[in-house]
Amino acid sequence: MNNLPIQQISQETADRTALLSVSLSFLLVMLPHFAHSPLWVSGFTLFALSWRSAQAFDKVPALPRWLLVPMVVAGGLGVFAQYWTIVGRDPGLALLTVMTAFKFLEARSHRDVLILLFLCYFLLATHFLFGQSILIAMYMFLVLIVITSTLMTINQRDDSVPLKLRLINASKLIVLSIPMMMILFVLVPRIPGPLWGITQEQRGGVTGLSNSMSPGAISDLISSNDVAFRVKFDGDIPPQNQLYWRGPVMVNFDGRRWTQTRVQVINPFDLPRSESTSDYTVTLEANGQRWLLALDIPVSRPPASFLTSEYQLVRGKPVIDLLRYQVRSLIQYQISPNESFEYLLKTEQFPANSNPRTLALGQQWAKQFSSAQAIIDHALNMFRQQEFVYTLQPPLLGKHSSDEFLFDTRRGFCEHYASSFALLMRAAGIPARIVTGYQGGELNQVGDYLIVRQSDAHAWAEVWLKDKGWIRIDPTAAVSPDRIEKGLDQALEEGLSNFKIGKRSALVSQLLYNWDNLQNSWNSMILNYDSKKQNRFLRQLGLGIRDWGDMIIALVISLAAISGLYVLIAWLRERPAAPPEYEQIIQQLLKKLRRKGFEKQPGEDVFEFLERIQQQQQHEDPQLQMIFATYSKIKYARGYQRQQIIQRLRQSVMQWQTKS
Amino acid sequence: MLSALQQRMDRFIARRNPATGHDIHLHHRRLYILPTRFGYLYLMMLIMLLLAAINYSNSMAYVLTFLLTSIGIISLWQTHKNLLGLDIRMHTPKPVHAHQPINMTFTLRHDTGTPRYAIGMQYAQYPPEYITLPPEQPRNLTLQVTAARRGQYKPAGIVIFTRYPTGLFHAWSWLRFDVPVVVYPQPDFSVPASESLAAEAQSQSTVDTTDGDDFAGLREYQPGESLKHISWKAYAQGRGMLTKTFQGHAAPSLWIDLAEMPAASLEGRLAQMTAQVIDCSRQGRSFGLRLPDQHIDQSSGAAHKAQCLKEIALYQQSDLNAELAIDE
Repeated sequence: MNNLPIQQISQETADRTALLSVSLSFLLVMLPHFAHSPLWVSGFTLFALSWRSAQAFDKVPALPRWLLVPMVVAGGLGVFAQYWTIVGRDPGLALLTVMTAFKFLEARSHRDVLILLFLCYFLLATHFLFGQSILIAMYMFLVLIVITSTLMTINQRDDSVPLKLRLINASKLIVLSIPMMMILFVLVPRIPGPLWGITQEQRGGVTGLSNSMSPGAISDLISSNDVAFRVKFDGDIPPQNQLYWRGPVMVNFDGRRWTQTRVQVINPFDLPRSESTSDYTVTLEANGQRWLLALDIPVSRPPASFLTSEYQLVRGKPVIDLLRYQVRSLIQYQISPNESFEYLLKTEQFPANSNPRTLALGQQWAKQFSSAQAIIDHALNMFRQQEFVYTLQPPLLGKHSSDEFLFDTRRGFCEHYASSFALLMRAAGIPARIVTGYQGGELNQVGDYLIVRQSDAHAWAEVWLKDKGWIRIDPTAAVSPDRIEKGLDQALEEGLSNFKIGKRSALVSQLLYNWDNLQNSWNSMILNYDSKKQNRFLRQLGLGIRDWGDMIIALVISLAAISGLYVLIAWLRERPAAPPEYEQIIQQLLKKLRRKGFEKQPGEDVFEFLERIQQQQQHEDPQLQMIFATYSKIKYARGYQRQQIIQRLRQSVMQWQTKS
Repeated sequence: MLSALQQRMDRFIARRNPATGHDIHLHHRRLYILPTRFGYLYLMMLIMLLLAAINYSNSMAYVLTFLLTSIGIISLWQTHKNLLGLDIRMHTPKPVHAHQPINMTFTLRHDTGTPRYAIGMQYAQYPPEYITLPPEQPRNLTLQVTAARRGQYKPAGIVIFTRYPTGLFHAWSWLRFDVPVVVYPQPDFSVPASESLAAEAQSQSTVDTTDGDDFAGLREYQPGESLKHISWKAYAQGRGMLTKTFQGHAAPSLWIDLAEMPAASLEGRLAQMTAQVIDCSRQGRSFGLRLPDQHIDQSSGAAHKAQCLKEIALYQQSDLNAELAIDE
């Protein structure tokens, strides 16, 4: 019996308001996707929306089924032709979008509209595969209100309710749901993903260091003000010129491009020891790569990662999500004085057929100077004293990139200096390698942590000296000491958009620091909440929640508690402040009746009660009949002469007492 | 006015259907709630969202999934609450003839502070009617039902339901009022009253009626008479409520007798009697009713007509609480 109305309702024809509200919801959901969807998908979506809306106004006819069916097939094939697959984030989204658009074109009934709304809810979630920032979340929250309001409007069946009230009602429902959502978020046991394979591309494009370095590689990164990672130090923050964030180390050189070589995991006994340690926590943004960034040089390794003999932190899986880890680094150190012969051999090699002038210069220095230290000093002096320019827009370099840079253009960015320097050293017989990473960072005083951006990307060189091991040499510092002391934007003469918050006016920078701090908290508290963090958090709560079983028990208890709370609040709010006047009057009468031994049963109607009294008394009581009739009339009749009738009721009740 | 039988009858009905049966208060024991098909669809969507969130370890997808889950749970509770505490009164419907629409009117109200949207009422398979109930303002809702057969019934198919706010859940209650719904037979006008009853015609006498051609005088107003015939002039003079009477050529008084009806079947004869009662009343004639087990004395007027029609409707319909048979 209960299903009868449902069946009928779902087949009802949807009205224009419903269709237009759903169109608006769909448009709002799709809007951010237009930026990265294939053009034809966005175009088709807009076409479907406009056609269906025009159809709602009877401006255009409904598309016939014989046309729709081939179009659906063409849409599916179109997605396949675009990506050569239909699984994965981008093809999946395109397919879902196209099919939703088709559903729009054929939407007619109440049921179609509801299905479309559920699709809109689902499409909301797809945005989070492209980004999870606070701004995206806020936008999605607003769209969620619009979709929910549409859902409620369709079920409201009252066109006279103003739009504002509809939005308020939807917001109320959502706000009421938030506490329960938080409980679910914290307590539902997290299953570590992925359940099926996902590739990096599906996680969204990320910027960051790459695993090779050629001229121009790093200067491309400089134009991005994306945050690479944030660092919170346990103790003091080391000085700016010590903030070398070590990333991929490059050894192989083909004359133009530096690449990594295969290395061993470091032997823990080889780790250097020093008094000047620094402990800190890094929150690394997804970079799609397997390496972690750490302050030069790391001596501990976070879980699921290892430390190579090049002092690089490498992870088993790519960093496809925000990652938080703790590291200990040494600020002053001596590394690998006993470097293996095979490795050193690799770091002395260079292709003989490229960069002849650079090689000649290096070989000349090897004859000219007696010690390796002297050669290094001479090279740095050359950068310092000759007319080398540190610039973001270096001229394009050809095949012999180092030759062209050192002898012709003399304008370059950090990778040019590091690359040429390392090649000169190798030519002079000194083992040298390139380290890429980041240099510096901006202190956010609001949260007392460092923000390191992609624009802080940097490359430097390391040379190996006997008895000293690998020593960091930053030729960029020789050319432009400001780059290292004060940061990039201070070092460059030409205009570079100022990413550093501290460059703004005091008020703006204060706001921006607060905003970044909020994002940092958002990252660490919400986006980074996984099964590990869940375990740790619940243990810290100290409620004895240790495993899944505990979590589920806690979940049930919390949900029961919050439901109870809702019922209580609703009861307090919904209860009329005072019962209406006529109810008070009738209560007086019931009290009198109780004294005479007549108790009205809960659930008993006044007339049933009356019948019972009359039966017990063996006679009719016309006055009581009249009182109850009047009461019932007040309760159900419209307001006409209400006040007089209530007065009459009051008098009758009083008279009834005096008479008995 | 009422015959002893009628009074007995009324008492019987009153005992069987106490007036209390007009009012129903929806407390939680009366309410039922189940997910709709959309509710199950929504659940499927939530599961898919959860799988996506797990697969991509995406915190915001988790947030959205859990938020939508909570919205579903809260809406379950709000749907239930939307019906809870309503007071419904059913008014006694005006009797109609079979195959004519019965208007069942209900007054709905509630004392709580929030408006109740999309309260639907439905009789069996008829399309539902919806209403919005603002706080403490009674509103009327009417369901039209077409009865298939004569008789007296209890309306047994009334459902009150709601799916507000999200349509994921369907809360409902079956309303069983003890309100009698009387359905007269469908009249069969094929046999005119004058023809079959001609034999009864006796002396041509003049009677005072409110219908007629010549003004005859004033008499005291009887409750139930049309207000159109009240002499407002006399009322204004302070002479009280007086009805204008007219002298006309009153038809001879008649007996409408089941045994006299030409139709073969009982229902056919009752239908002819019904038609004759209507005809005679329309002509203002005084008539009596004869059924095998009872008779109603000659009289005229609306109340008499109603009484006669009801007797015909209830003839050999012993089960006064039968379910209303409806036209599909």
